[in-house]
Order: sequence, then C-alpha cells, then structure tokens
Amino acid sequence: MRLAVFVSDLRSTVDTLERLKAEKLGIVLVGNGVYHASLKENGKSSPLLDKPASFYVLSEDLETRGISASEVDSRVKVVNYGDVVDLIFNEYEKLAWL
Amino acid sequence: MADTKLAFVVQRPPYKSENPKLAITHAIAYQTVEILLEEGETVTPTLCFIGDGVLACIKDQKAMDTYGITSTETHLKNALLVDLDVFVCKEDLERFGITEDKIVNADDMGADKRIQVVPYETIQAEMEAAKHVLFF
Amino acid sequence: MGVLSIGVFSSLIGSMNLDFALKLADAALQKGHKVNLWLSGNATSLVKKDQKHLKDYSTGEKPLKALLEKGVEVCTCEACTLARGIQKTDAIEGVQWNAMHWYLAKIHESDRVLHIGGE
Repeated sequence: MRLAVFVSDLRSTVDTLERLKAEKLGIVLVGNGVYHASLKENGKSSPLLDKPASFYVLSEDLETRGISASEVDSRVKVVNYGDVVDLIFNEYEKLAWL
Repeated sequence: MADTKLAFVVQRPPYKSENPKLAITHAIAYQTVEILLEEGETVTPTLCFIGDGVLACIKDQKAMDTYGITSTETHLKNALLVDLDVFVCKEDLERFGITEDKIVNADDMGADKRIQVVPYETIQAEMEAAKHVLFF
Repeated sequence: MGVLSIGVFSSLIGSMNLDFALKLADAALQKGHKVNLWLSGNATSLVKKDQKHLKDYSTGEKPLKALLEKGVEVCTCEACTLARGIQKTDAIEGVQWNAMHWYLAKIHESDRVLHIGGE
C-alpha cells in the first residue's frame, strides 16, 4: 500500500510506526513532529529519518517553532499545506495520523 | 453493491484517552450507516488492537462500579454482539504476559463472535486490504 | 477532484490538531477538492458559538464559519457534544448534528480519509 503517516509528536508513547509496512511510505512531520526534521539530540539526527521513507515537514509548523528551512535535514522536503493536499491525493492512498 | 472496508487500529490503552472507546463505538455505527447510503452499499470496519491498545481487551473491567461509566469491555462485548471482527495482536499480548483467558468475550450475551488473537502480520494484512485505515 | 474526509477527536484548546485540520481543509478546498469534517470526542468543543478570541488561545469559530460558507460539510457527534454541555442552540449555525454513522457514510464516499485521533 501507499501510506502517508503523519507524525505529530517528538516523543511517542506508541511504537506503531516501527511496525507499519508499506510499499511506498511517506512520513509527514507536523506539529511537534517537525522537531524530527532538524533536532540533533546529542549531535545525532532523529533515528526516524533512517527509515526507508520519503520525508516531508510542514513549513508553517517549523516557522511556528522558530526553525528555519535551512536547519532542516537534507533528507526532508519542506512543504506547505497545499503541498500536503497534493501528497494526499497524488502520492498516497491511505493516511495514518500517529 | 459496494462495500467499503475499513481498518480501525487501536494503539492506546483505555481510559486516559477516549480513543479506544471511540474506536469501538464508531465501528459499531456500521450497523446503522446503511440509512445514509444507497441501497446495497455497506461499510465494514475491522477493529484491531495493537501495542498498548491490547490492554483495552482485558476482561473484568469495572468502570461502571468505580466511575459510573460504561467500560471498554462492555463496548467490546457490544462490538462482538453486532458481529464485528475484532483482532488483538498476539505478540503484544505475550509481551505483557496476558493470556487468552484474560481477554474479553461476550459468550454470556450469546455472541457468535470472539476476539481473535492473531499475529501482527494478520493485522498488517487487514490494513492493506482496507480502503482506509484509521488510527485511534 | 477528490473527496477528503477529516475526522478529529482533539480539543480546540490544549492541542493544535484542530488548527491543523481546519487549515488542511481550507487548503484542500483551494485545490478544488470536496471536504467533510467530522468532530467527535473533545473536538466537539469547536462547534460552540461566541468563542472569545483571546490571543493566548486557538479560536475555531471564524475559520469554521469560513469553511461552512465555502461548502465544507461539518458534523458534530451529537452524543459527544451534549455530554460536554453544548446544546444545539449554543452551536455555530450550519454545523450538522448526527451520530457516528454520519462519519462512516462520508468515509464510504471519500477518496482519502485523515483520522486525527490523539489526545
């Protein structure tokens, strides 16, 4: 399946994402999930970014938190709400909010 | 005739969050959705409990006695009574040391269905077979 | 163009999930898609009219009314709403009140569904 997962937290109390399998996996970082795109905890990028997936981060939620696009990991594409709509309709068939 | 298959995946434990309860009550609503659909059209949800969500399936919950609210167990029994397929992840039950005899059933209410303890792979297959997946 | 149904459980205040849902709905509309919005659990707080816009808090009334005017179908879970002390007379005009099967019916006709559970 082509699955887009919306990650909205920095810390999650559930490990669902680790187990989900998809032929095409997109991870859309929104809300406090955007920290995964830029934070380097103890000098290391978020392990989330090591997953075999395409990564997107919502620009509005980055800016809200004082993070600029230049601080975003090169593996993550910065998108706006309109881009998210296009991802939803054009790239993925199922959506999950974790 | 068109059927929309849905996978409801519950990943949170009950009571702190309203999610597990709402997952079950939303799934049960499949029984009456036909009044809003064209003739012959149906919606079929499957309830799947994974991760900490499996804790919602432990029987002998006494939420009515302690807080005066319907227990998640009662909601699950109702789900079984209306013939919903309910799956609980075997690996997660084992991780918590929960044996099958501790799982909710609705035998006392005459339900034909029982909660099915299945490997995670089965739940993954349910998600793949569904048109939409909803996480609770 | 497609149909997107968004279901939300999160509260208007204390979570930004509803803010996200409203903005996403608007973006989808601007792209020409049809949008349905289902409010259940704590998200039903969104339908209360006469929200005072204090800048420390999210406000949903204005964007919700704008979405309604643009044709978004918005429905609140009647039981969840009444349980929180919000009566129909207290609610923003144009919001539908129904049971959970409304959401399932909208999902049935949708190309995409984003269900925002969470706290």
